[in-house]
Amino acid sequence: MKKMTLIILLLAFGVWAKAQKNEGEVTFKRTTSWTKMNDQMTFLSKQQKEKNAYMFGNIDISTQTYTLFFSPKGSKYEEKEENTNGYSWRKEQFVIYRDFENETLTDVIDFLGKTYIVEDSLERPQWKILNDIKDVAGHICMKAQIKDPIKNQVIVAWFAQDIKAKAGPERLWGLPGLILELDINNGACVISASKIEFKKLTTELDFPKKLKGSKIKEVRYQQMIEKHVKDKFKEEVNPFWSIRY
Amino acid sequence: MNRILVLLSVLLLLAITQLYAQNPTRISIKGIVQDTNSAVLADATVMLLSPSDSSLVNFGNANEKGVFEFRNVKNIPYLLKISYVGFLPYQQHLTPSPTAINDLGFIKIKPISQELLEIVVKTAKAPLSIKGDTIEYNAASFKVPPGSTVEDLLRKLPGIEVDGSGNIKAQGNDVKKVTVDGKTFFGDDPKAATKNLGAETISKIQVFNRKSDQATITGVDDGSKEKTINLELKENFKKGEFGKITGAVGTSDRGVLRGNYNRFNKKEQFSVIGYANNINETGVNWSDYGEFKGNNTFSSFDNGDFGFGSGGDAFFIGGDDDLLSSFNGKGFTNNLGGGVNYNYTNDKTKLSTSYVYNQTKLNLDQNQNKRTFLQNGSFSTLDTSSTVSFRANHSISGRWEQMLDSTNTLITKANLRFSNSNSAVGTRQEYINNNDALQNRINLNNSSNLNAYNLNGTAIFRHKFKKTGRVFAASSSFVRSTTDGTDNIRSLTQFFEASNPNDQIRAIAQLNQNANRTLTLKAGLNYLEPLSKRFFWENFYNFSNNQQNVGRDAYNGLIETQRYDSLSTYYENQITYNRFGTGLRFNKKGINLSLGVAALRYDLTGKVYPTEGGNLTTQISKQYDAIVPNFTATFNPQQSTYIRFGYGINVNAPSISALQPVIQNTNPFYITEGNQNLNPTKSHDVNLSISRFNQSNFTSINLWMNYNYYLNQVVYNQTVDANLVTRTRPENMSGAESFRTNLYSSFPIIKTKWTTNLSVNYNLSNTPTLVNSVLNTTNSNAYSANIGFSITPSDKIFVTLGGNYSINNIKYSIETRQNQNIISKGLNIDAKWSFIKKTFLESSFNYTGYENDRFNFSQNIPILNISVRRLLMKDNRLEARLAAFDVFNKRQAITQTGSQNFVTYQQAFTLARYFMLSLTYNVRGHDAKLKKNGNMF
Repeated sequence: MKKMTLIILLLAFGVWAKAQKNEGEVTFKRTTSWTKMNDQMTFLSKQQKEKNAYMFGNIDISTQTYTLFFSPKGSKYEEKEENTNGYSWRKEQFVIYRDFENETLTDVIDFLGKTYIVEDSLERPQWKILNDIKDVAGHICMKAQIKDPIKNQVIVAWFAQDIKAKAGPERLWGLPGLILELDINNGACVISASKIEFKKLTTELDFPKKLKGSKIKEVRYQQMIEKHVKDKFKEEVNPFWSIRY
Repeated sequence: MNRILVLLSVLLLLAITQLYAQNPTRISIKGIVQDTNSAVLADATVMLLSPSDSSLVNFGNANEKGVFEFRNVKNIPYLLKISYVGFLPYQQHLTPSPTAINDLGFIKIKPISQELLEIVVKTAKAPLSIKGDTIEYNAASFKVPPGSTVEDLLRKLPGIEVDGSGNIKAQGNDVKKVTVDGKTFFGDDPKAATKNLGAETISKIQVFNRKSDQATITGVDDGSKEKTINLELKENFKKGEFGKITGAVGTSDRGVLRGNYNRFNKKEQFSVIGYANNINETGVNWSDYGEFKGNNTFSSFDNGDFGFGSGGDAFFIGGDDDLLSSFNGKGFTNNLGGGVNYNYTNDKTKLSTSYVYNQTKLNLDQNQNKRTFLQNGSFSTLDTSSTVSFRANHSISGRWEQMLDSTNTLITKANLRFSNSNSAVGTRQEYINNNDALQNRINLNNSSNLNAYNLNGTAIFRHKFKKTGRVFAASSSFVRSTTDGTDNIRSLTQFFEASNPNDQIRAIAQLNQNANRTLTLKAGLNYLEPLSKRFFWENFYNFSNNQQNVGRDAYNGLIETQRYDSLSTYYENQITYNRFGTGLRFNKKGINLSLGVAALRYDLTGKVYPTEGGNLTTQISKQYDAIVPNFTATFNPQQSTYIRFGYGINVNAPSISALQPVIQNTNPFYITEGNQNLNPTKSHDVNLSISRFNQSNFTSINLWMNYNYYLNQVVYNQTVDANLVTRTRPENMSGAESFRTNLYSSFPIIKTKWTTNLSVNYNLSNTPTLVNSVLNTTNSNAYSANIGFSITPSDKIFVTLGGNYSINNIKYSIETRQNQNIISKGLNIDAKWSFIKKTFLESSFNYTGYENDRFNFSQNIPILNISVRRLLMKDNRLEARLAAFDVFNKRQAITQTGSQNFVTYQQAFTLARYFMLSLTYNVRGHDAKLKKNGNMF
């Protein structure tokens, strides 16, 4: 009888442990290298790119910390408030909600000084699956890739083989495992998981009582980005100084 | 009958074929995932990809029995992919299924060798790339000691064996070929590459099977495969170099030679730079300076002065900034300079060293008209002077930043500098009194030379505690400097109003020998403690001690053994500064408030001796205490909107030169003497700034205001005697105030094509001084406005237009009739036009007008520069340029100032019209297009 209880307990624990593996919180470090970003600026000559790398090559990195809450139902991704040096900057609004049950997205995004709420149905990104494997934060990940033609980005994602969740950092999702790392344009921006905590989520995925901002559709949001990128290229200014990379 | 039978058979056959050809449109695909030992792999990830581009079509998981099923999927070709931790990704091509259920049965997937997984993937964190049966693994992160060869690196890789003589085996097979970036290296011997190439140059190692050369040449695949290793070089290890050299000749013997050369790899940067010219380029421009300093360009801002506000002196930066051109627009200069710079950077260390030499010879002729106001009138001084001077500097600098570990950082820097300079100034001054009569005339012929040496060093240490936000920092620095110089003063003065013939002429010949020594020691401590998520407590301590020894021996310039005791002195001065401060900071989502208070003490001592080693004649010792508050608030209510407000009290010790009890009689009509009794200056400082940038319409607006009120300000009070000799002495006076404000706005008129900027300034100052013991308050109200347009109608034409107007209204309480307006106005047009491919026309026109109604002074200066340049050779390596500078031959430097109790205007001659032909060779080629936004990013 005792043995039986133990087995049941073990089984229950096993089920619980398994259930826990697709729900929790991930801390991401988002690192941007401004001189690497220059490779994409077609208006800069090779000489200018080299010169910038020569002068700014090791002081051009900026790092931010983000949190991703994920469960089979959905996910929420936002910047973590940190003030380690006793000074606090106003955070850019970038809160990404994904509802996998109702297949909807609700993103609160600051864009050129205005706050928008992008609300639309979820469309799965067109991922390509590649053959490489790599370790990220203790999990073996497979490689996937996607292109963003509007921002002219090649994004490499590394998704965990053993965390069955569709969620991911930034606005990306839809792989057979949780995305633990994104590499945009060969290291110009790298978003990499530094800590993964499996736990039962309670209210983390809920919307705040009131979302402030003007509501737009995904298509409109992409159009705004496209216009901005085009304008700034015409001015020969890096468009990602003023919008998110 | 037979016919019917045949027909039926054919129909039946057709029906069967039809049945087979008619694949179902939707099918189920299922299978069971197992390992090679037939153990079930529960929860394996199963994906359906499109075979053409590997894009993900569908995915699911195997259940606890390893069974997976895709239901109701399109019946098209797929690439089935299965992934499972610890196993090689499995791939299988699926063709359209003839049946509704495509049962793939048992699918066996192979484990990854434990060694590979543990060492490559887990430990080295290197990505592993798998193509079919062969593993191409990329191993950039295997640690080998510096200087190791590729062979040493290969020994560390799992699955690869290297024997004693360097033969390589991969997965048990001999490696026949080693390629570098896909190319054969050093012939056919695989060992040639692995023994000769440095491990640090390699980013990836790929081991794969490749058709034998025989098969590649004949095209007949004999099935034999060779194990091959490909070494991929690090992208940024590929070495680079750039540089350019310019030579130019011009009319009136003008010439330029200028060049720089840089070599770099990922860790090291090496550069040399040099210039020589007689066209008033006293150094290099900012862009060339940045290339010279490389990634050390922005390291000069290390700050060891902790705490709020200023106080004490800023930490010595001591760099080689003297390479930067700093010509003030006056005179003619011959310049020569150069330097070498070396930077080393890795994850933890940043080391920079440089040596710089520069020299400038200046020839300057200028005229000055000065009017000085007294309590009962005014007098004018007309100067004509001619200066020849030379200065040369040697400077050696080093900076070393080391991350000792993840919590400790140490920055040290040092600079050693030698300089020598000499000058000869001939001046004729005429003093015209209130009645417009020439009262005195003086001819001055002064010369001097000076040798100076300066050594300074700084160390800053930072420690981050485990508790987030708790930071400790300590700093210390020293400055040692000595100067050694002589002044030769010769003057002949005529007093036209003297009645006694003995008083009508006076001649001075004097030789001063000056020796100064300074030693400054500084230290600082800073501690930041987080009290909660929102509150921080900051504590700091600053210490500095400045010791100065001034020796001056004045002799008769004709009889050099005759010492003038009244003009000679030996002086020791010491200023000690201690400050302790504490403050509370609050921050929350873009709101930062900081409130603090500091207690400070200055100890000033001064000792005067008649000569070095003589008996003490005067001793001064004083102490000055103050408690100063500080408050700052910053708000960031919206993205791109910033508001900052600050209030504080600054306390600054008087300058050493103001404290020295040394009589400066270089000009016998303007005699300055230091004052040992000076107290530190206290100032209240209030500032406000607001800036907003609207990103959607690119409109920006900035406003800043600053108000200062001074207590015990050091001002130079004057006594003017009947002979118009001015004696001036620094003294403390309270009541001066200044207010400055600026409003700037920039907005597009036609987006991306036409931008406008506007700027308005207003400066107010009230400065009290004593003139012959009468209080004079100088009130200055200066207004200025600028408007500018930048127009880029196409990629080939850039135009900027601008205009400015400024007026300074000055009122003297001592002599209100002399209130006056100083006006300057300007107009500028710049245009760049790429009128033929690789050919550019560039011109700038500047028109400046200066006016002063009291002097009846009005001068307009139009300056036009035009140049044409063309890019030549492959990659545009050569640039030829023909330029005309100052086409109208009008250039001169005009300065108008009004302050205290005087107003001046000054005209200096400088380089005017010349034509120049220059050639520039650039190793990497020149840009063939006009730049819209300079060089930065």
